[in-house]
Amino acid sequence: MPRKIMIIDDEPDIRVYLAAAAEDNGFLPLTLGAEETVIKLIADNKPDLVVLDIMMPMRSGVSIYKEIRTSPSLAHIPIILISGMAGLSDFMEKGFRQLIADDQIPPPDAFIEKPIDISLLFKQIKMLLDNRSC
Amino acid sequence: MLTSLPTDIDKWIRDNLFDVIPMAISVIDREYNIIHANTAFEQMFGLWRNRKCYAVYKNQDAPCTICKGSDAFKDGVTRINEEVGFNKNGRLTRYIQHSIPVKHENGEVQFVVEIATDITEIELLREEHQLLFDQVPCNILVINRDFRIVRTNHRLRQIFGNIDGKFCFKALKGYDSKCAECTAHQTFSDGDIHTGSHVWDHGENHGAHMLVTTVPLRRADKSFDLIMEMAVDVTKTLKLEDELKVVHMFLESIIDTAIDGIIALDDISNIMIINPAARRIFHFPENQAQITKDQIEALLPQGFLEQVAAGSQYSFLQETEIKTLSGDMIPVRLISTQLKTEGRFIGIALHIQDLTEIQKLEKEKLEAERLAAVGQTVAGLAHGIKNLINALEGGMYLLKSGIDKNRMDRVSDGMDMLIRNIARVSMFVKEFLTFSKGHEIQVKIEDPALIAHEVVELYAAEAAKQGIELRCEIPDRVSPAPMDYEGMHECLTNLVGNAIDACNMSEKKGNLFVAVRISEKEGTLIFEVIDNGCGMDYEVKQKVFTNFFTTKGLGGAGLGLLTTKKIVQEHGGVITFTSEPGVGSTFSIRLPRKRLPKHKAFSRL
Repeated sequence: MPRKIMIIDDEPDIRVYLAAAAEDNGFLPLTLGAEETVIKLIADNKPDLVVLDIMMPMRSGVSIYKEIRTSPSLAHIPIILISGMAGLSDFMEKGFRQLIADDQIPPPDAFIEKPIDISLLFKQIKMLLDNRSC
Repeated sequence: MLTSLPTDIDKWIRDNLFDVIPMAISVIDREYNIIHANTAFEQMFGLWRNRKCYAVYKNQDAPCTICKGSDAFKDGVTRINEEVGFNKNGRLTRYIQHSIPVKHENGEVQFVVEIATDITEIELLREEHQLLFDQVPCNILVINRDFRIVRTNHRLRQIFGNIDGKFCFKALKGYDSKCAECTAHQTFSDGDIHTGSHVWDHGENHGAHMLVTTVPLRRADKSFDLIMEMAVDVTKTLKLEDELKVVHMFLESIIDTAIDGIIALDDISNIMIINPAARRIFHFPENQAQITKDQIEALLPQGFLEQVAAGSQYSFLQETEIKTLSGDMIPVRLISTQLKTEGRFIGIALHIQDLTEIQKLEKEKLEAERLAAVGQTVAGLAHGIKNLINALEGGMYLLKSGIDKNRMDRVSDGMDMLIRNIARVSMFVKEFLTFSKGHEIQVKIEDPALIAHEVVELYAAEAAKQGIELRCEIPDRVSPAPMDYEGMHECLTNLVGNAIDACNMSEKKGNLFVAVRISEKEGTLIFEVIDNGCGMDYEVKQKVFTNFFTTKGLGGAGLGLLTTKKIVQEHGGVITFTSEPGVGSTFSIRLPRKRLPKHKAFSRL
């Protein structure tokens, strides 16, 4: 049974791109835009990992991130944040804290900066999932 | 020396002196009858024959309780007494009475001669002097050569109590010896009138400042042993003088040290004040004492002074130019005030603010902002390019993996993605160029309502197609204002475009609207674009005015709001917004009229 990866990005092109790459890496990709119902869809689909774009209209990645992390049934899911807006430094501990403004919420399991290095992304995904299953 | 009088004089004295002597003389017997009197007596007291002395002098029926005459009868001693009686007209009369007993050979006194000198007038005069002495609005004391106080007036006694007999320095100042600068001493030395300033120390009111004048009280022979010292309390005057001096110095130093030029003309156009800053601004040499109104007027904008004199109380030129004596034109702000006191015109005050430095700073600031914007733009550009690269890489990946795996759906998706994103690159570059070029604002008097109507009309068809109600709300007439038509049009176009997009992104179905509202409040023009679309959450709000920030995916390069902000700033205004996710957003442009760009023409407050 391939592991499920939920890809949340508002740009259809990126969704298609990452889904194809996930498939090629042996995962089952699920893609979502920034729908209002995103949390429900995550809960329904129970992905093994979430790849989340930080900057989206209507619901930004940060608010979705907060909601996953504060939902007891979803909090355990590893999350990789994709950042296109800022350099990686923004998403180091300090930058992350400024953005989240909530000390109770732990940082994401990994950051990946745009343009996405696709082999690095899947190396991270595999590492996170392997660590989980151990 | 005469040993005996000539006969005729002797005879005259015997026959006439008694009647011509200007003193009232009467002779009284032991029964108080007046048995003889002279003409002066009759003139003073009236008829006397067969009358008693007390009836004539005092208008009484019985002898006086204390009678000097009867005393003289008893002991034969002459008495002098001051008496009060009534003259022949019944008026109270003061006189000095000499009661002289005339002794008989046997030593018995049978008659008393009474000589009365009328001192009524003298007394009146004396009373007047006393009154003057006591009530004159200054402190008076008489001092002898030992510097002891002989007499004081009522005023002085009210302050110091009775200090007669004391040393003046002790009583007035609490000193144990004479003052170093003694005004009384000066008068005692040379007999002249002297004045001096002294500080008297009396009770609760310490340090009363006195202006003292000392005058010698000369006898008939010009010698003197007493001086009169008159002291006027000038404490309050001195205090006022000091205060006035302080206020004056304060104002003068403010005017002198002011950075702005200050010139004041009086009602007949004499230059009363021209401060150092004004001299600097106009390049008047520091040593040029005489500066005339004509000289100033030639340097000011033509007709300005006339306009001030004729016009309203204030005239204000936000930005104008004046000429310096060296012939340069420099940018200034001119404010003039008609000076009035109780409604009467007393002159004009000119306030000249040199704008050279400010304009230089503004230019530098603008340059700094431009440089900062360049930095921001480069960062934004990098970000924009990152996204594009990402999408292009995605296209390439699909294309390549599609070919490798022989999956035509991927090949086709990949091609679409490449084509779309290459188009996006060219749009991005175009928008970027438009923004970087900017455009010089062209200020004319424009009707804000008209701009709003035109923008609404521009989007009318698109809004209608998408079921969004687009409307203008202009509750009250708003007066035209100087602004850049193109610029403000672009601002509203950007905001209305965004609002329509927000409505399209909303999950609500129906009842969507976008309103453009124009109003004016307290001299500020307000343009509002209100929508009930999707609204923005915290992170989006943080990035709204950032370069290349877009929530529209392929739809925008993220420069609209940044451009809008730039135009609003060029109009001296601010742009703010409120937004709530799922409820809607309101963007407000506020343009204070007084900060709107201006022509370099006259304007009045």
